[in-house]
Amino acid sequence: MRAVNLIPAEQRSGQQIGAGRSQGGAYAVLLVIAGLALMAYLYGSADHQIASRHTQIASLTAQARQEQSAAERLAPYTSFIALREQRMQTVETLINSRFDWAHVFHEFGRVLPSGVSISSLDGKVGAASSSGGSSSSSSSGAGAGAGASASSATPPGSVPTFTVAGCATSQPTVALLLQRLRLIDGAASVTLQSSTASGAGSGGGVSTGPCPANGPVFSVEMTFDPLPSTAAALSAATKAGAKSASNSVSPSSSSTSTGSGLQ
Amino acid sequence: MTGRDRIVIIVVVVAVILAAGWLEVVSPERKQANELSAQVTAAQAQLASAEGQVAHARAAQSQYATAYASMVSLGKAVPPSQEVPSLIYQLSRATNQKNVNFDSISSSSAGTSSSGSADSAASAGFSALPFSFTFEGTYFNLEHLFSQLTDFATLSRSGDVNVSGRLLTIQSVSLAPHGSEAGEGGSDKLSGSIAATAYVLPAGQTVTGATGTPATAAATPAASTGAAPSSPTSAAVVKVNP
Repeated sequence: MRAVNLIPAEQRSGQQIGAGRSQGGAYAVLLVIAGLALMAYLYGSADHQIASRHTQIASLTAQARQEQSAAERLAPYTSFIALREQRMQTVETLINSRFDWAHVFHEFGRVLPSGVSISSLDGKVGAASSSGGSSSSSSSGAGAGAGASASSATPPGSVPTFTVAGCATSQPTVALLLQRLRLIDGAASVTLQSSTASGAGSGGGVSTGPCPANGPVFSVEMTFDPLPSTAAALSAATKAGAKSASNSVSPSSSSTSTGSGLQ
Repeated sequence: MTGRDRIVIIVVVVAVILAAGWLEVVSPERKQANELSAQVTAAQAQLASAEGQVAHARAAQSQYATAYASMVSLGKAVPPSQEVPSLIYQLSRATNQKNVNFDSISSSSAGTSSSGSADSAASAGFSALPFSFTFEGTYFNLEHLFSQLTDFATLSRSGDVNVSGRLLTIQSVSLAPHGSEAGEGGSDKLSGSIAATAYVLPAGQTVTGATGTPATAAATPAASTGAAPSSPTSAAVVKVNP
């Protein structure tokens, strides 16, 4: 009996299935075609993106240019508003950095005891001239004082200082005065410079007319809290506004301290 | 050459062809697309910025009339020139209202650049106009005078600046009995001296801006485009550049 090999002749010598007559070349061609198709798709997609983005950029650039030209046309308004803001801020800062003189003078009138007469009251803020400005009743003296103090206004942080000179009926009254002065709103320190009985011969230039012959002549220096910084100025200004509002009601109440005014 | 060798060669050749196609054709195109994408983002940001500027400018344009009015008001507090007659008039009026005699006024080194508090003033270029004046009155009248002088320019609770006269900063005050009237039974009048500083806009600036720049330029768009934002603005522009 003769054996018959049923395996086809092209597949007998270990040949792989699917190689076929082209020896796998067909698959290679298919792979290449598929790869090229994929790349063509990707290329086309990228090309489309490029084209659309070029258009988009051109459109955006044109719009931006248009907006910029509009902004340039309106720039004077912007700079005008900026200038207004700058000036407003500066004026606000200057207003807030002022010392409330009216309030302090109102407080002086409120706290001075009745047995006290004041012969001079000098106050200054910041780098104002030295305390020698006390005898400034003449116009020439005033001008000199201004010349010295004009270089500086009232910078934040500067300390208001008052020098009060006068006479009292007795030394205990001077002590009472010192206590009362400490009650003034914003007073930081009250320092007695001197309190000498007139009989001791130290009257100096201070008028002792309203005081007894042996009444003490005193000189007191007061310092107030430093002026607030710019940051704190706004809240201080609000507070000061409330004070000034109360000041406007004050004359009737302050008139009760009859001995408190300057004489 | 065995069948396996042929397959390997075919795979390598196909891979090389595809890689070359990718590297030479597709990849550069995609890279360019990505670069353009970044450019689009940048252009969008630029457009957004420009739109923001325009919105800001339009807001400024809509505020122009109000801002012009407040600038004019500020100009009353800080005028472009020394305006000494106006200052004297205001002091005189204030002292009259408070029953205080206005004796004398003297100016010292007028127009010096301010320092100190005026650090802020200097930043805006304000110049200081130091002066002093003397007066006579009762204690409480003088107290009210100080209040009046301060009230020339004040801040409201809402933060607005209320201006009714020159912005003054009082630096020093001296009070003393008035002449020979001091003493028991004499007049209760005091003589006082105030050293104060008024402020002046820097040279070259007008009430509504620098000469020939902002305010003048502000007139340009309204006039040139013919699209005035509002009638008050146009009127204001006319005031700036008659």
